[in-house]
Amino acid sequence: MEIKKEVRQFIAKNVLLGVHQTTIEDATPLITGGLIDSIGMIGLVDFLEARFEVEFMPREVDVHSLDTLEGIEEVIRKKLAGREAGAASGGQQIR
Amino acid sequence: MPDAPAIVEEDRVTCFRELFEQSASLALRFVEHGIQKQDRIALVLPKTTEAIVSVFGSLLAGAIYVPIHPRWPKERIETTLVDSAARLVIEGDSYPPRITDRQGGASIPWQPVSAALTSTAIASEDSLPRVDASDPTLILFTSGSTGRPKGVVLSHRAVSAFVKWSAREFQICSTDRIACPSPLGFDLSTFDIFNMALCGATCVLVPGHIVWMPRFLVQFVREARITCWYSVPSILAGMLQEGRMAQHDYPGLRVILFAGEVFPGPNVARLQAAVPHALCANLYGPTETNVVTWYRVPRDFDGTQPLPIGRPCPYATVTVDASSGELLAGGDSLMSGYWNRSEDTQRIFATWEGKRYYRTGDRVSLAPDGNYFFVGRLDRQVKRRGFRIELGEIETALAHQEGILEAAAVAAEDGQKRTAIIAFVRARSVGAVTLVEAKAHCARTLPPYMLPDHIVFLDTIPKGSRGKIDYLALGRIAEELDHGDQDHGDQEGSPTVHR
Repeated sequence: MEIKKEVRQFIAKNVLLGVHQTTIEDATPLITGGLIDSIGMIGLVDFLEARFEVEFMPREVDVHSLDTLEGIEEVIRKKLAGREAGAASGGQQIR
Repeated sequence: MPDAPAIVEEDRVTCFRELFEQSASLALRFVEHGIQKQDRIALVLPKTTEAIVSVFGSLLAGAIYVPIHPRWPKERIETTLVDSAARLVIEGDSYPPRITDRQGGASIPWQPVSAALTSTAIASEDSLPRVDASDPTLILFTSGSTGRPKGVVLSHRAVSAFVKWSAREFQICSTDRIACPSPLGFDLSTFDIFNMALCGATCVLVPGHIVWMPRFLVQFVREARITCWYSVPSILAGMLQEGRMAQHDYPGLRVILFAGEVFPGPNVARLQAAVPHALCANLYGPTETNVVTWYRVPRDFDGTQPLPIGRPCPYATVTVDASSGELLAGGDSLMSGYWNRSEDTQRIFATWEGKRYYRTGDRVSLAPDGNYFFVGRLDRQVKRRGFRIELGEIETALAHQEGILEAAAVAAEDGQKRTAIIAFVRARSVGAVTLVEAKAHCARTLPPYMLPDHIVFLDTIPKGSRGKIDYLALGRIAEELDHGDQDHGDQEGSPTVHR
């Protein structure tokens, strides 16, 4: 799954009106760099939850961990891994 | 009463006795260090228990507190520290906060002096200075049109006029649990912390990481059993829409107050339907006067009409400049003036029938029933999510960036009826500055709420016959952007509208 690519497309289309997506590098700071504001963050989290079928807890909506495409990918990968581990052991799914 | 909860910060509860001991102890440390009456103490802190202890510690020492949001860019924080000539700065995300003397660099330990010593010192009346009603309580720094924030000085009389009235009007009492997500640097934050002190209510702090996440806020209001809420309408709108506030019950929530911007009628009706038993009220007033008019939303408000800003509060006097329709506001809650800006202060005050009034810049109309309605602004100040923004400040910030020759900013409504800020810039040459660079520059110099939503590169900024920027023309370009016409970008990140 190309998490970074999908998130980059989402941000380019919905958050950054009119910016060509190649300008967002993997390490470009999105929030601290002024590209995404608090309302943009609500949209971003909604998108991540719907697209990757994960759920964020209050503490996880963090400026630093979601500030770059790299960071976002890491958060999503961890959440997906947690979910698969839960499913494999027959336990309750961590969503 | 001394053991009743004063501050709740997630799992941590501070009772009134602890709050008093810690604040008094801090005040004694300040006095011992040589802090004089009316010295400025800057609180570069998120709204935490320590921040509130610092507020009361500063006030007990006779000092003036200057709240500064820690997420402001470093440059802006430093400018504000210099501008306010802060003697002490209290800062830090983790416990304990650092207290530094800016004059000598010495630090003061946060660790309290002993409770016994505090009580003894407080009992002897001369250990802490006496404070008069006209002495300043705090300085709130707000957006300034020339690019430098302005400090609004509010006295004890001004703050207590609003707090005492709100306590009476909304019957705040010791069983109330008040939540106000506004940072300390906004006038809304005088409501929760001082009503806590005045009425013995509990101030329940909204965790900073959930302030803009509607569904977590809705969960917070339920789980923390909030009885009294005060925020900007944008936050409530988010809670109603993305947070699906109407899907739950809030049996204890009895008062919902909002201020800071226009709350569209349909949203107000939705709010009342979601929490039908709660009293909803629209409070109006700029930082310079705090709340001066208010309107209790009637139960049968259907949202088809705009919401009035209401009638004057008993401590306020308001009148309308007949020629411009501008609301002039005075009375006990009026600011003392702008910090260190006597010319601006003189210019903004009007005298009428021997009384001093603040020129709000808001155009209003008066309905036959005595209620005022907000009509619009006389200048280029805009409200976005309740934050007050001088568009000139954004223009100044952008124009200072290397590679940008000229900048202009306008406000427009986005598809969801939210205020969006569109900045237009003329670069020295194509590719002299990219959009990502321009945005990053803004983030380094402006607080997060002031960052433009969109930055559009233009070959020329439209001007009128006298060479002044044609904001109407820019407004029309902004509208085009908002109608989904997103294809303004070239290949390498400098979206350019060729005109």
